[in-house]
Amino acid sequence: MVSTGSSSSAPTPAPEGGAAEIVVGLLSHQHAGTVADVARAVRDGLARHFPARASRIVLADDGSADETVARAREALAGADLLEISAHRAATPLELPYHGMPGKARALHAILTRARALEARVCLVLDAGVTTVSPQWLPWLARPVLEHSVDLVSPYYDRHPYEGALTKALVAPVLRALYAVRLRQPAAAEFACSGRLAEWLLEEDIWQREGAQVGIDLWLTSAAAAGDFRLAEASLGIRTSAPRAEEALDLATTLAQVVGSLFADVEARVGVWQRRRGSVAVPLFGEPAGGAPVHDVTLDAERLIESYRLGYRELRDLWTWILPARTIVELGRLVSAPPVGFRLDDELWARIVYDFALGYRLRVLPRDHLLRSLVPLYLGWLASYVLQVRDVGAGAVDERLDQLGAAFEAQKSYLIARWRWPERLRT
Amino acid sequence: MMQEVERGLRLAGTRIVDSIAALLPGALVLLVVLVVALVAAVSVRYLVVRSLRGLELERRLEPLGFRVADWGPSRGPAETAGSLAFWTILAIGLLLGLTALDAALPSRFALAVLQYVPHLAAALVILIAGGVLARFLATAVLIGAVNAGVQQARLLSLAVKWLVLIVAAAMALDHIGIGRTVLLLAFGILFGGVVLAAALAVGLGARDAVGRAIERQLHAPAHDDKLDHV
Repeated sequence: MVSTGSSSSAPTPAPEGGAAEIVVGLLSHQHAGTVADVARAVRDGLARHFPARASRIVLADDGSADETVARAREALAGADLLEISAHRAATPLELPYHGMPGKARALHAILTRARALEARVCLVLDAGVTTVSPQWLPWLARPVLEHSVDLVSPYYDRHPYEGALTKALVAPVLRALYAVRLRQPAAAEFACSGRLAEWLLEEDIWQREGAQVGIDLWLTSAAAAGDFRLAEASLGIRTSAPRAEEALDLATTLAQVVGSLFADVEARVGVWQRRRGSVAVPLFGEPAGGAPVHDVTLDAERLIESYRLGYRELRDLWTWILPARTIVELGRLVSAPPVGFRLDDELWARIVYDFALGYRLRVLPRDHLLRSLVPLYLGWLASYVLQVRDVGAGAVDERLDQLGAAFEAQKSYLIARWRWPERLRT
Repeated sequence: MMQEVERGLRLAGTRIVDSIAALLPGALVLLVVLVVALVAAVSVRYLVVRSLRGLELERRLEPLGFRVADWGPSRGPAETAGSLAFWTILAIGLLLGLTALDAALPSRFALAVLQYVPHLAAALVILIAGGVLARFLATAVLIGAVNAGVQQARLLSLAVKWLVLIVAAAMALDHIGIGRTVLLLAFGILFGGVVLAAALAVGLGARDAVGRAIERQLHAPAHDDKLDHV
């Protein structure tokens, strides 16, 4: 946690009943251990970097049973800046991968407040992040205030293996479908313009099934699908406080994230079928390249074994989703030696697109379909680990750019299959 | 003498005519009921086939394991359901018609069969639901076991499938009252035996492995030590 500990400096509060140029929304759910530091960092950031702009901090608490709200009030005592928008947390059967059962409701409350205050920029931060610094505020807000950007998505320094699902699947699909190269599109933090906030509130994403899980991704895809300017802000390292509850297993996480992505692909078919190519988005903030927060080791051979087991046992199931040609190509990989194990980018892109189409056509119960993707993803991860484990950050970026380009190149395959699904298995 | 014979013949003729006259309305009703049942059966078959085709039943059932090839070269699930409805209505019509004849034996038979029909239908529903559930759970277990790295995933999946199928079959047979005592006893012995065998196998053969697994669960690494895939 980077915090100045200052309490003497105070941002300019919005006048009573008046407008606020900057609204900072804090999302919290059982974050008593970190919310005070995040609130102080926000307060210091506003005071230091935006002293002349009227601002307001909104805490959207998702039914915390601990002292989250009390500690946030205490941290900002006397500043009269804090508005509390508390919600009773839902009790879903499974916790969302991001850890907030009522995230969509909390985000909706923040954006609604930003609209009511006629905010020019609305920042959203997760109160569970331990590395929030006052500097994050200008990096996120200035592109909106000074460069007319509508959505600023964060770009964190991460180990090449971290966020592998986003790198393998989410970012390339969004790039190919909506023609924007955002590298971490499902991040919890972002900044948006007042124009975008108003537009997002009118979107149908809040009532969709699975909104509490997929809202992070859907906000980004909604902005990408609309006529808005997007940018990235390099924020350095992001770490979260350990959660009290057990982390979700990979299959559940993948089912939630990829299910949200496929649901969005299905909902925006009219938009993405007309988009071609892709453009890089401008990057603000500190250039990336800092040391990763902690070292990550992955055993590629174990990942390959998982892939082989999946091929052996789930091949019959995959024949409902993937064409015979793809199954044959996957079969060749099974006998490949670990050193030469490579899952071709274009093959991987076609697999993902076939799963998206299978999801749409419900060729299998959707949860089964999504969970059966896990061994294929582990196969991709093994191939990726073998390719990037001995290279530098620049080469990793280049590798991921190639992957995105492959998804773009195979987009015509997705469009053809989407239009003529009867040819699914040919 | 001749008069006696003539009277006897007349009486016999009268009895035959009376019997035929008594049977005729019943036969006529039987015929009408059969014709109505036939028309109803044909209409219901047409409606069932059309609606199930409209619901794309074949495509929806295939992923659950009910493949079109299993239904014969020319029959899909929609046609099979239609035929089932056709013959069921026709059989019910025949049984109803038999009661109209006012003959003691056919009537009792018809009533007994008609009283049995709801049990048969319920047993059929139990069997079909059991089949669908067995295939669904088998697929879920197979995928879950593969994702957990279990080498014997298919064996586990097959075990779940047959367990559910056996339970469904036992419930269906119990519902129609066939060999209830023997069935319950056999099922209890079989199921208890399987559970005991599994408990012994785990307790004796895999005690250390289970201990290690519990140890891993109790001392699971902190969340941030794991790879964040998102």
